[in-house]
Amino acid sequence: MRPSDFVLCLLDASRGSIQGRTLLQKRAYFVSVLMGEDESLGFTAHYYGPYSPMIDSAVTQLKSLGFIDEATVGFGTVSDEGFEVKRYDYRLTDDGRRIVEVVKKANQDEWQRISEILGRLEKAGNPNYVELSFAAKAFFVLRTKKKAMKREELIREAKSFDWKIPAASLERAVSLLEQVGLARSS
Amino acid sequence: MTARLEIRDPIHGFIHREPHEQDIIDTPVFQRLRRIKQLALATLVYPGAVHTRFDHSLGAFHVASKVAAKLLDSSTDTRLVRLAVLLHDIGHGPFSHVSEEILDKFAVRERLRLEPGRQVHEELTEKIILNHPDLARLLSPNEREHVVGLLNGQWGDTVLKSIISGPLDVDKQDYLLRDSYFCGVKYGVYDLDRLTENLRVHEDGEDRFLALSHDGVHVLEQFVLARYYMTTQVYRHRVRLISDEMIVRGISLGIVEDKIDWLRRLYTYDGSADFVTEYLAWNDERLTARILEQDTREGYAKELFRRLSERRLLKRVFFCRPSDFEDPEIRARIFQGGKEFLTALEAAVGRQLGFDPHLVAATRVKVKSVRAQAATTEGQVIVLTTNGPRYFDQESSLFKSIDEAIQEQFLEIYAPVEYKDDKEKKRRRREFYDDITGIIKGLANPQSKLFDTKDAGGNEA
Repeated sequence: MRPSDFVLCLLDASRGSIQGRTLLQKRAYFVSVLMGEDESLGFTAHYYGPYSPMIDSAVTQLKSLGFIDEATVGFGTVSDEGFEVKRYDYRLTDDGRRIVEVVKKANQDEWQRISEILGRLEKAGNPNYVELSFAAKAFFVLRTKKKAMKREELIREAKSFDWKIPAASLERAVSLLEQVGLARSS
Repeated sequence: MTARLEIRDPIHGFIHREPHEQDIIDTPVFQRLRRIKQLALATLVYPGAVHTRFDHSLGAFHVASKVAAKLLDSSTDTRLVRLAVLLHDIGHGPFSHVSEEILDKFAVRERLRLEPGRQVHEELTEKIILNHPDLARLLSPNEREHVVGLLNGQWGDTVLKSIISGPLDVDKQDYLLRDSYFCGVKYGVYDLDRLTENLRVHEDGEDRFLALSHDGVHVLEQFVLARYYMTTQVYRHRVRLISDEMIVRGISLGIVEDKIDWLRRLYTYDGSADFVTEYLAWNDERLTARILEQDTREGYAKELFRRLSERRLLKRVFFCRPSDFEDPEIRARIFQGGKEFLTALEAAVGRQLGFDPHLVAATRVKVKSVRAQAATTEGQVIVLTTNGPRYFDQESSLFKSIDEAIQEQFLEIYAPVEYKDDKEKKRRRREFYDDITGIIKGLANPQSKLFDTKDAGGNEA
């Protein structure tokens, strides 16, 4: 599946819109991990957590083709955790909805899978972008280091990616990873 | 006392280097960069663009030295950063970046076990730094490993890596000024001293990263705009796109259609030391001269390189943007269809308009928006404010106002057409536009089997 088709299906399965660039990237990350596609989408460690330049580039291309709209929402405030003060919201346009139907037809299994994974995330409390971001960082560290870790070790290892994960946020992150079947506490 | 070594450079004035750095510059493997032009055949548009990878390597090295002197405490880190930047372009082949595309096209990736996204020229650069006898003689194995690690991002702290690759890297800091100067344009000019002066290492607990002081916001705006204008006016200039396409096509067709054996060997990377030795023996002039030699068989390679040397270029016969097509399915096929779509388009245009299809080139070009130019895949620039670190596009009044990150993309078709005069040119271009629009609509029709699921290719800036 090409990155642009993946983004179109992700938006479609998110009821046609996603609020925030970080939320889009993190949903894309979890969906691609659970589909076994995260490597082919080139996720790397970025300030906000795992980030795929290919997804970013696909979003830009889809905008220029008129298939998705980007709206900017300014908040005028700054989060202590360094998260977005300006949010970019994405929505499928009418032309985009038409293209999604073509893409879904050609990629029925993938679309079903994306939809099912997003349903799982929703059941896990429909995490916002901050929660997803910490969970994504924690999972990225676990996967990269390829070993089980205690919470303190995980926080320490995250620093090697220039990430700070507050202990309280890690609790929610671990619970989220457990609920979607990506981690197990022992 | 050892005399201080210096070179006079048109961009930076005196470039100072240490004796061990001079030894590297004096090696044949480094000197060959004098014979590889920085911007391939940009001389066909800007006759002054004769500068080389050699000049640029020295220029980037000079900027790296200044930045390292300002930001780094460790002499080992400084030494390694200077060496990494000096050697960053050592793997460039004939016609610089143009060769990279051909290497990737002909390498047998499965046999080489290249990771996804890994490019052949990156692998070649690493092999040269790690194994070339010229460098092995001058640098310890540890130094060579660390230089390679800095260049591929696998070793070194965030600050060191950001000096080498990232939105503020010294590569861009040099090439924008240098390319601008040699092309004779002013688009790439920005205040280098001001930018360097405002670079900071921000430390937050154990975290360290490269940032910009708040006073540097305006010079960064200038730097980002310089990148944008150089992209639209120089790097994506129509004649440059055409000449690059002709080089790629000439070499590719020389291998596939003309079956020129030495050309195939030169571009079929097999991971061997022999390949590297042979590859390093070639440069822009030697490749052109060899293709045009009498004993090279007549064919596409010779035809295209002859045209390049006489500046009889293919001409643009068609240009469109996504908004030119109302039907979203047609738009998707034109701009997202796989390479097969472009090949079929070239064949159909050739067939219907009477050109040799191999000499018709359809290419998609993308230019990032100015806002997107402010960041790279390595991330955005962080600006240090009194309220803490902030992203550049939120601190710059200019960039804050650019909300839409629109990417420009277009499809262009080039063909070997000649016009008698302007009148004929106007008439035929109108005809080409109508005919090719019809061909595209036919090919991009939803019933056509050409709509595949492979990713679209394109030149992105």
